[in-house]
Amino acid sequence: MKNQWINLFAGTLRVKVTGKGIERFLNQLTRSGILIWNVKRHGTEAVTFQINVQDAKKLRVPARSSQCKIRFIERAGGPFFLRRIWTNSGFLVGAAAFLIILMFLSNMVWGIEIRGASPAIEHQIRKELADMGVKHGSLQFTIKNVDLLQRDLTDKVKEITWVGVELRGTTYHFQVVEKEEPEKQQAYTPQHLVAAKKATIVKMFVEEGESMVQLNDVVQPGQLLVSGLIGKEEEKKPVPARGEILGETWYKSLVELPLQSTFQVFSGNEARKYQLQLGKLSIPVWGFKKHGYNEFESEESMHQIKFLKWKLPIAFVAKTIREREEVTRTYTKAEAIKSARELARKDIKKIIPEDAKIKGEEILHQSIKNGKVRMSIHFQIIEDIAKGQPIIQGDEE
Amino acid sequence: MAKKWSQLIRNWMTQKMDLPPDVMMDLPRITMIGQIHIYIENHRGLLAFSDKELRLLLKQGQLLVKGKAFVIKTILPEEILLEGKIDQVIYINE
Repeated sequence: MKNQWINLFAGTLRVKVTGKGIERFLNQLTRSGILIWNVKRHGTEAVTFQINVQDAKKLRVPARSSQCKIRFIERAGGPFFLRRIWTNSGFLVGAAAFLIILMFLSNMVWGIEIRGASPAIEHQIRKELADMGVKHGSLQFTIKNVDLLQRDLTDKVKEITWVGVELRGTTYHFQVVEKEEPEKQQAYTPQHLVAAKKATIVKMFVEEGESMVQLNDVVQPGQLLVSGLIGKEEEKKPVPARGEILGETWYKSLVELPLQSTFQVFSGNEARKYQLQLGKLSIPVWGFKKHGYNEFESEESMHQIKFLKWKLPIAFVAKTIREREEVTRTYTKAEAIKSARELARKDIKKIIPEDAKIKGEEILHQSIKNGKVRMSIHFQIIEDIAKGQPIIQGDEE
Repeated sequence: MAKKWSQLIRNWMTQKMDLPPDVMMDLPRITMIGQIHIYIENHRGLLAFSDKELRLLLKQGQLLVKGKAFVIKTILPEEILLEGKIDQVIYINE
């Protein structure tokens, strides 16, 4: 016996036969190779049975020769089912629209939760986020991924040390750690001020304590600058010495700069490609052109589509391909020397404290050899050289 | 006369050579599953069908099946599968 499922796919018909000699008619049908099933008798003159759709035409010839009338009373399976769906397409459209809307809403931002920030900072973060496109009702595809968001936020909002960004479902969670501005340490404990490094004193401003050195003195590291013991010989009172002692210090910097150097730079040409990724299969959606760059770097950002709480194995991938170029820079001697000096200055600025100033610089040595400029530069820096040193009162009772 | 002779020879051959009789002698092969199903092979056509009765033509004589709520599940030129509640299976010889 054939599997009825296959018949159902192709479509079946229910036939009603009325008249006389129905049995003879049925015999005729079976002999001509038509598959009949579910034969039922209804009263004395009617029989119903089912046949395949493709056998419907073969029914005509035997029917004419017999004294029976045939009527098709029911259609079921494959093509008829499809037709019914088509006529009731409203339901189908509704169901599809429902799923699409649900998917659309699953990929929206529905909540932004900021924890650990004071109201002022929170407001600022919210403003920055709104600028970045993170707000209620915006689609998650338009938002950078979580790591980038975290980096940008820490860059833009100066008051926070760290921010943890997590996307849980449709809600962004931000865990903020605020910078705790250390309060100016009040030097309440008695202390001396001593020199931190070798320097010539240029300027002195003593708030408290007794200065032990004068302008233009050369001091050695560890030398007492401002004493924290004031008063007469006998009854010296320890106080916390405070003040600013600006000294001129010297730094030497050695720089080496090749006259000719090659760089990798982006030419500014870029191509964008968008793909829809289904599992491992990726379907290009936009950007079919070949970029034709010899050297390039590509950046990919992937957005996985969510449905309610589940992540679908469908992702939207935006690929940016940037052309890279190799640029050769050649310096003339004068240019090389100039940029070497700048380089040295930059180096020095990294070493010295922020509030220090470069007073002067002097090239000690300079040579161009093997296509390289070597230069040693001497810098005069003005900086605060004072360093606190607590007064140990071990010998006092 | 010749028909009778061939019948006799066939009968004898089946008995002596141990061949399946339904093949040799064109007899119906009837399989029943309890009272609910009856499967008849080697019939020669439908004679009458109602929900209480099925009459089949055989090579020799007829087969009458009586019962209730009959439905022919499948019918092919030489096979038929009947479903319902079967009470009697009767051979009718003229």
